Amino acid sequence: MATARPLNWTWFHRLGSPPYIYELAARLAPWFGWPAALAIVGGLWGGLVLAPPDYQQGDGFRIIYVHAPSAWMSLMVYTTMAVAAATGLIWRMKIAHAVAASCAPIGASFTLAALVTGALWGQPMWGTYWEWDPRLTSELILFFLYLGYLGLRAGFDDTQRADRASGLLAVVGVVNVPIIHYSVTWWNSLHQAPSVMRLAKPTMPPSMLVPLLLMLLGFTLFFVAILLVRLRAEVLNRERSASWVREVLGP
Amino acid sequence: MNMRGPALGELAGAAVAAEVSSGGRGAPALEAAQLTLRRDLTLAFRKRSQLVQPLAFFVMVTLLFPLAISPELSRLREVAPGVLWVAALLASLLALEFLFRDDAHDGTLEQYALSGHSLTWLLGAKITAHWLLTGLPLAMIAPLSALSLGVPLGAVPGIVASIVVGTLALSLIGSISAALTLGIKRSGALLPLLTLPLSLPVLIFGARATELAIRGGPLLPPLELLAALAVLAVTLAPLAAATAVRISLE
Amino acid sequence: MREFFAMGGYAAYVWPAYAVTLAVVVFNIVSARRSLARAREEARRRLSMRGEGS
Repeated sequence: MATARPLNWTWFHRLGSPPYIYELAARLAPWFGWPAALAIVGGLWGGLVLAPPDYQQGDGFRIIYVHAPSAWMSLMVYTTMAVAAATGLIWRMKIAHAVAASCAPIGASFTLAALVTGALWGQPMWGTYWEWDPRLTSELILFFLYLGYLGLRAGFDDTQRADRASGLLAVVGVVNVPIIHYSVTWWNSLHQAPSVMRLAKPTMPPSMLVPLLLMLLGFTLFFVAILLVRLRAEVLNRERSASWVREVLGP
Repeated sequence: MNMRGPALGELAGAAVAAEVSSGGRGAPALEAAQLTLRRDLTLAFRKRSQLVQPLAFFVMVTLLFPLAISPELSRLREVAPGVLWVAALLASLLALEFLFRDDAHDGTLEQYALSGHSLTWLLGAKITAHWLLTGLPLAMIAPLSALSLGVPLGAVPGIVASIVVGTLALSLIGSISAALTLGIKRSGALLPLLTLPLSLPVLIFGARATELAIRGGPLLPPLELLAALAVLAVTLAPLAAATAVRISLE
Repeated sequence: MREFFAMGGYAAYVWPAYAVTLAVVVFNIVSARRSLARAREEARRRLSMRGEGS
């Protein structure tokens, strides 16, 4: 595999080897999957049962335990996707492109979850399911960025061109995300009073905060576990003629 | 190479393209860019009828809203910023087709990429030509539509200024998605899907500047933000578009 | 227990939100596993085809 510059680190070299990745991903996935389940169950218990009702929002605030992790996922996965894509473009590593491709469906689905849970939170709090508040509007635009990435990827038959084109799109997109968020916030502040719903994170007591952190951790671990599974599929799809595939598949 | 349009114009265009490509390392990037700019402008003038299409589309779209909403000028004036800018956005999307299509078809784009010159500069020239041919005329025609929507005469300079700057940013941003979709046969709604999210900040600041122009308020802040976007786009977009062109040509 | 499910009157919003998130989680698991299974199938098919051709 030709690289643009000599890479001195053995581990980095090995990360470029598809059979190694395929096997490593299989071994690592349970180490992320089970802790993820644990953290999420713990977070659910803490958030739904142990945490006291909110002073203003009563039990309705508990939606935060699914909304905030989903929103976090939507952004974190996009950033990961863009970093992986940039790595693939700069150093021409197929594996990096495979990682980026694996991220997209995960991120898109959680963006959708963030939108739906955000709307469900909005109805009892603001009185309408959709209020064009800056965060939800930005989430909606992010969802279209994901769709654009997936759509562009689907337009190419050749995997390598699909990787590079969608990779560039992801990098351009990630640069735009802060710009878009700023402009949407700016737009929103012109036209309405500051949103009634403040997540009030700084004033959250530990009994409310700890389950939230657990959920954030759990979802992040879940992302890595799912990513590893999808990565194996992507690696297989990109290795058309390699002999290691025969060995690894078995009966 | 396909023959398109009058043979003389074709030869002139081909000659310039060849000159740009074979200029070699001696000719500085700026000179090659200037040649490209002139070539694009010349070729486009020969197909003037094509240039009218985005303008006609713009006017058509702004015409839809009075019919769909109400003939009352007071109501139209309220929605005018949004109408003008959505129409401008859609018209510039339509115009994006002209940026790369011909050069991609007849291999000129490949020649540019293979020439020793910086593709970034050459594309910068193409984008500039594109803006001069589509964005500026849009800004000239926008006052007509604005006035038809009940916008006061005093608002016109502000509106024109915002559209001039905004369409520059839109041409630059659009060049990236246009370059990315070059390799796709039936791209359909993909180009708008890719371009629109990236263009939203331009829409937001431009519409706000237009609104303030109509109300007589301070339109300098959003105009400055719009200009900042354009400057950012000028520095980053040609490079991204050049990378995208190379990817598409592989 | 009933109080728990009532969620202080917000049940109509809280539980659907959790249900949707659960659905997304399940979708991710199922979809990822299916994509891996499909990739393995594809690779198996390609290898057997090449075997016949040689």
